Amino acid sequence: MNDTELSTAVRDSVAEIHAATPVEAIISRGRGVRARRRIPVAAGALTVAAVAALAVTALVPAGHLGLVPSGRPGLASPGTRGSSHSNRVQLAAWTVAERANGDIDVTINQLKDPAGLQATLRADGLPVSVSFSGPIVGGSCQPYTASRGTLRTVAQFHSDSFAIDPSALPSGTGVAIFDEPGTGLPLHPSPAVAPRGAPPLHPSTGSLLSGLDGPLAIGLVYASPQCTG
Amino acid sequence: MGVGTQQLDFAEFYRSAADECLRAVLVSVGDQETARELVDEAFARAWASWRTVSGHPAPKAWVVRTALNTGISRWRRRRREVPVSDPATVTDRPAPDAAVASPVDPQIMAALMRLPARQRQVVALRLILDLDTNGTAEALGIAPGTVMAHLGRAMAALRHDLQPELRQESRS
Repeated sequence: MNDTELSTAVRDSVAEIHAATPVEAIISRGRGVRARRRIPVAAGALTVAAVAALAVTALVPAGHLGLVPSGRPGLASPGTRGSSHSNRVQLAAWTVAERANGDIDVTINQLKDPAGLQATLRADGLPVSVSFSGPIVGGSCQPYTASRGTLRTVAQFHSDSFAIDPSALPSGTGVAIFDEPGTGLPLHPSPAVAPRGAPPLHPSTGSLLSGLDGPLAIGLVYASPQCTG
Repeated sequence: MGVGTQQLDFAEFYRSAADECLRAVLVSVGDQETARELVDEAFARAWASWRTVSGHPAPKAWVVRTALNTGISRWRRRRREVPVSDPATVTDRPAPDAAVASPVDPQIMAALMRLPARQRQVVALRLILDLDTNGTAEALGIAPGTVMAHLGRAMAALRHDLQPELRQESRS
């Protein structure tokens, strides 16, 4: 066999392989890449603004203190509690922040405003469906069966938050975040839920990560405009 | 360049280059699903940096190089974060059914997977993307002489691996 025949054999060995992802899906994913790249720039601008605010605070009389939020809190509002100063804020229901490596950190204090959380995460380029009131999966969301190992690379639970790595999502999938295991993704009959303070439990045959600080679970679904935006 | 023009240009590039890039990455990584995922991500990054990539002398090589780098980064990250004692626990899909015909020649793919990673990359760029020696060297960040040496060793190893099967075929 000469080099030409060998080269032809190698080329022919993969000649029947064709790309199947529509260009629209690639462009949609590319928008997510762009959005992730913008975050560090925005964070830098926010830092500059925070430094400027602190400098102004140091120069003006007391009573004009301002609070510069970090990340993107949902449902945050100033609380007065009988004080004339507005230097207290209620805890946000949830906060989304993106790390420099592209991972998205989500802290959830209250299961409120799922639509806002969903819109914020989608704006970061994450194909996601969020529900804090029952099933996500209807006619438009189809569950994707993933191994526990894959779910762990996509979502990492911490003591008071979880992190999602969008780049680890299998092709064509999105994330489902929901609050009622058993009524969310109908993949497995009884996904385990970790009690408060216990480490997350992963059902041996399941594909749901659950735990955190309540009945919150993360699963994978097939991405589609109707389901994950 | 307007947004509409940009999308049209990218779409044309994707349609013309996606198959070749996928085949080149497949030859390097050996697994179809992994190759598809890496190529999708690389094209998404190409779209996000289309002004740069469209002016690149070898945009297909840019995509393949990006896909391979992404694969290496993920492997490193998973190696740190998910100690895999039992590989079966991270298998997404059931073992492929041997009865299902694969579009990839299993003997040649097995021979390719026995090559060192760098030799597979050279084979992918030289034979599948049809880059010349200098283009391959530039894409991989190595000297042209190194490309020739890797290609020569890869071809010798492939010939050694595949020759008996070809002889068997010719006898039967």
